[in-house]
Amino acid sequence: MPSPILKVGLLEEPKSLNPWRSSDAWSSRILSLIYQPLYIRDPESLEFVPWLADSDPVYDDAAISYRITIRDARWSDGEPLTSEDVAYTAELIKAFRIPRYYANWEFVDRVETPDKHTIVFYLSSRRATFTTRSLTTPIVSRREWEPIAGPLRNTDAPLPALLNHPLERPVGSGPFSLVEWKRGGYLHLRRNDRFFGKGRTINRRLLGPYLDGILFKLYGTSDTAVLALKKGSLDMFWWGIQPGYLKGLAETDHIDLHSNEKSALYYLGLNLRKPPFSDIRFRRAVAVLVDKDFILDRLLQGHGVVMDTIVPPGNRFWHSAHVPLHGKGLTRIERAKTALGILRDAGYRWEVPPRIDDRGIRSAGRKLTDSKGNPVPPITILTPPADYDPMRAQAGIFIQEWLKSIGLSATAKPISFSSLSEQVRVRREFDAFIHGYGNLSLDPDYVRSFFHSRFDRIHGRNTSGYRNPEFDSLSDLSASTMDRGDRQQLLHRMQRMIAGDLPWIPLYNPHIIEAVRTDRFTGWVDMPVGIGNWWSFCQLKPVDRR
Amino acid sequence: MTLGRYITKRLVEIAIVFFVILTILFLLFRLAPGDPVSRMVDPNMTASDVEALIAQMGLDRPIGIQYLAYLKSVIKGDFGHSLHYGEPVAAIIWDRLPNTVILFTSSIVLAALAGVFLGKVASWHKGRAADSFLTVGALVTHTMFLPWLGLILIWVFAYQLGWFPINGMMSEEIWMKPESGLLLKSLDIAHHLVLPLATLFLIHFGGYLLIMRSSMLETLKEDYILTAKAKGLEERVIRDHHAAPNAALPVVTSVGLSLAFSINGGALTETVFSWPGIGRELVISVTALDYPLAQSCFLLIAAVVLVANLVVDVLYAYLDPRIRY
Amino acid sequence: MMVSTKATAETPDLYPPANRVRAIAQNWSVFRENPLGRIGLGLLVVFCSMALCSFIPPMVDPMYHPMTGVDPHILSSTGPSPSHWLGTDFMGRDIFSQLLAGARVAFLVGVSAAFMSILFGTLIGVFAGYWGKTIDALLMRTADIIMVLPTLLMVLILASLFGQLNMWIIVLIIAFFRWPGVSRVIRAQTLTLKTRPFIEAAVISGASHTRVIFWHIMPNVLPLSFLYMTFRVTSAIIIEASLAFLGFGDPSAVSWGMMLQWVYKTGHMFRAPYWLLPPGICISLITLSFYLLGRAMEEVLDPRLRGEHL
Repeated sequence: MPSPILKVGLLEEPKSLNPWRSSDAWSSRILSLIYQPLYIRDPESLEFVPWLADSDPVYDDAAISYRITIRDARWSDGEPLTSEDVAYTAELIKAFRIPRYYANWEFVDRVETPDKHTIVFYLSSRRATFTTRSLTTPIVSRREWEPIAGPLRNTDAPLPALLNHPLERPVGSGPFSLVEWKRGGYLHLRRNDRFFGKGRTINRRLLGPYLDGILFKLYGTSDTAVLALKKGSLDMFWWGIQPGYLKGLAETDHIDLHSNEKSALYYLGLNLRKPPFSDIRFRRAVAVLVDKDFILDRLLQGHGVVMDTIVPPGNRFWHSAHVPLHGKGLTRIERAKTALGILRDAGYRWEVPPRIDDRGIRSAGRKLTDSKGNPVPPITILTPPADYDPMRAQAGIFIQEWLKSIGLSATAKPISFSSLSEQVRVRREFDAFIHGYGNLSLDPDYVRSFFHSRFDRIHGRNTSGYRNPEFDSLSDLSASTMDRGDRQQLLHRMQRMIAGDLPWIPLYNPHIIEAVRTDRFTGWVDMPVGIGNWWSFCQLKPVDRR
Repeated sequence: MTLGRYITKRLVEIAIVFFVILTILFLLFRLAPGDPVSRMVDPNMTASDVEALIAQMGLDRPIGIQYLAYLKSVIKGDFGHSLHYGEPVAAIIWDRLPNTVILFTSSIVLAALAGVFLGKVASWHKGRAADSFLTVGALVTHTMFLPWLGLILIWVFAYQLGWFPINGMMSEEIWMKPESGLLLKSLDIAHHLVLPLATLFLIHFGGYLLIMRSSMLETLKEDYILTAKAKGLEERVIRDHHAAPNAALPVVTSVGLSLAFSINGGALTETVFSWPGIGRELVISVTALDYPLAQSCFLLIAAVVLVANLVVDVLYAYLDPRIRY
Repeated sequence: MMVSTKATAETPDLYPPANRVRAIAQNWSVFRENPLGRIGLGLLVVFCSMALCSFIPPMVDPMYHPMTGVDPHILSSTGPSPSHWLGTDFMGRDIFSQLLAGARVAFLVGVSAAFMSILFGTLIGVFAGYWGKTIDALLMRTADIIMVLPTLLMVLILASLFGQLNMWIIVLIIAFFRWPGVSRVIRAQTLTLKTRPFIEAAVISGASHTRVIFWHIMPNVLPLSFLYMTFRVTSAIIIEASLAFLGFGDPSAVSWGMMLQWVYKTGHMFRAPYWLLPPGICISLITLSFYLLGRAMEEVLDPRLRGEHL
């Protein structure tokens, strides 16, 4: 009797199955089941385990090289997967400068393939992120891609042509392969019996996949998907569920909720290039006024964690638990008083000072001026629109009210998401904004790219304009420190610096809550990215009906 | 001027207008603040990635050169590649077009037929209960806010009663099975078509009804009708065979004149019901700032509207010999 | 909206200067007797008062502010209750005050967009009719093209280009695409007026073109313009609501279309009828009221229609 088909709901249709396009989240989800990387993360320890590779990489510090051996594997069309394919993938990325991947491969000088199962990568300089960022690149088949890429190599615009190539039948080595993609309708994937992990025990887990296939159904809105889940037309909805649905789902039979702490950061970004946020004491006062526990309680309804530093607490090894805190545990009145104290000490004056007594804030002040007598300009806090992300929009409103309560003129302004990106990353004209990274890598190299002065440029990730030479040298060192312990120390120091200087005020990290039906399949594996991960799909089994 | 020359003249005009719109759209998109690629940036793209992509896509060349390149490719039939799907725009449009045609034409035709028939009935019972009922009904449905009507229909008929699917055009389980035959698939699409069609139908038929009604009342006062009555012809015959066909002409023009309104409605309906048509694709591409796709969807719609207007004018001229240009 | 087949270029010239005041009084009484006109007017009065009252709730308590009202006890969508007559939305904001604010936005957008479009349309129509020949042909051809294209989609495309949208840009864009309908009628009226003795007299006595246009022709076409304004208001409101529903509205303004977008996108479509129903009903009723008003005014201006009551 064939195994039944898993029905998964998507919120949007994938854009393309071409793995090189700067893909949206939905395309990446489907592609992750097809193209496989050398290493993936263990669900509990979060350490890297060999996936397509068969053992840990061997590092030679003298030659700055990594030696990797791969398993016996085949592509879904039956052809063997060899070291040539791995080398080809790296070469393709470098030759075409493929976005997103190029930054992780540009420092690889050459690649050797001594035999069909061994690859040696030679780097031009030491990179701490090679194992964590480069070796997670999905491997593609030379036989599939060279006929496409070859003719493009000497044309004027090879990269767009490569990215625009419509891939109808991706050839992968993963647990599933594509049967049909009906545009506007659904995607049908079938079990790939040539999957290299089939029947193997990898990382002490016996892998299937035990599913006959997966049917991806499209739903325009969350509520239609949740409805389908309740009715049984879906087994799993591959997107976080908003807190408003939780009660109803918890009371429905055969539905389980999985809550996972993500590797994510939602924060208040500040523009250090101009007043008032160019003054660190002003930033500290604002940080004191932001009541993160209140946000967690009221907005996230407890489903998440407060963020005091850039690295989420769930990332245990890299997270720094000892960073300067601002206003932790204080009441509203205490916060207001502390903030006032900070501002007064810094030389800020009100024309009409705020009045605070033990029962509350009696009146907000008016006409704040800085120590030089210049009036403090009104602050605009940019947020995405309320329907795009109610939490960010609402957080903006809360912060606006907290600032206004002591006389700081602030307005939360929802604008369209693309305008927000443009204003913050391109034109760089703003006071503050609320943004988030929903899927941070578990490797903390992003701390460097968020705050190194080199990235303070148009399109750069250093949106605050933070320029600290001490931080720059620390972060440069961290990128090339190969010893994990040493690197950890550096990253802790970097985090402490950021938490003290406050170019961004980290706010919260919401849990990802996902819902599944329990009457047909069992075996979902929890991970920071959610339950839609390799281990789940390879281990899910139909429920024994007897 | 003969009909043939008139049509040719209008077609030439349409071609000119089409190119004007094309140029205006092109300029608007290129001159918009920010560059298109930076809007498709995902956080993992570095600044140099973006710059390389912009250079390779030719978006940093002077506008004049980009325009000429664009014109050349349009004439060759190449409308560019979607920035987000990466596929040729023409292929995407070709894929979505039949879905829109099914929904749109069926709803407008049904609405026009219903409007003519019920308008005729209403005019015949002028002043009495049936007339008031139909007229008020037409007024109410015609002025309802279309997306809201769609949501209400979904709520009542799909969610509460469960008679129809909530959205989309097909049931995945039926379509993925190779053994499902054409009949089953067609029935499935029809099942999904009911609610969106009902939405468009309800909004439009009221307008046609009101026009038909006033038109009938006018026509019934005409001399030739009085003559027919004097000749002793049966009332029903007068109404249906003499008055109605002439009275229906303004409805025909109205379909053409309000095509813009109908197309707006079509795009909204497709969005609410997730019906994968051109209107919805236009909305999605505009949201995603996918300029090549948005531009081409709009050009297609503009071309359809211009040609449709020509067809309506010609039809009217053909049917009413008093009008000639 | 459906184009009325009655309003053609043959509207008689009803306002010889000497009889203006009497004509207005006469028309008002005809208008008042029309039952549908009365319904339309009544509805309009209700919405006007809603718009005016929209300033009250935030003054009563800051938590009733439609955009930033934070209820200390409620942070999700709840049904009607004594403190929230229509319940709360997904962020705990009061729906009733949002509804009132929406009325204000509807009038603002509707009236401004309509006003600007008839301003453009009247000017263009008068110029076309007065100057004639090539200017006329060019302007009317352009009008034809714009009129034929779907306004919502054009506004949508422009909206995406501007990125950062605010209410006034939306109004301007809507006005920019809605002038053709008015201009045709005004042009026809201008053509009729051009041949009138008093215009010829003015020209002979040496009046400049500007004077003839603005002093003599304009006052005679303006009443017609205002009639057309009622049709423009509805379409402006619907376009704004549709834009907001699709996600292109001004995110910092609360309009009925925006409310519908929130209920749709935040997944409360099936669970919150108290939130889903009111904004849609309001948009539909305000459309109805202007439509009825427009038809009633048509009857007033065209005596052939009187007594027909639709």
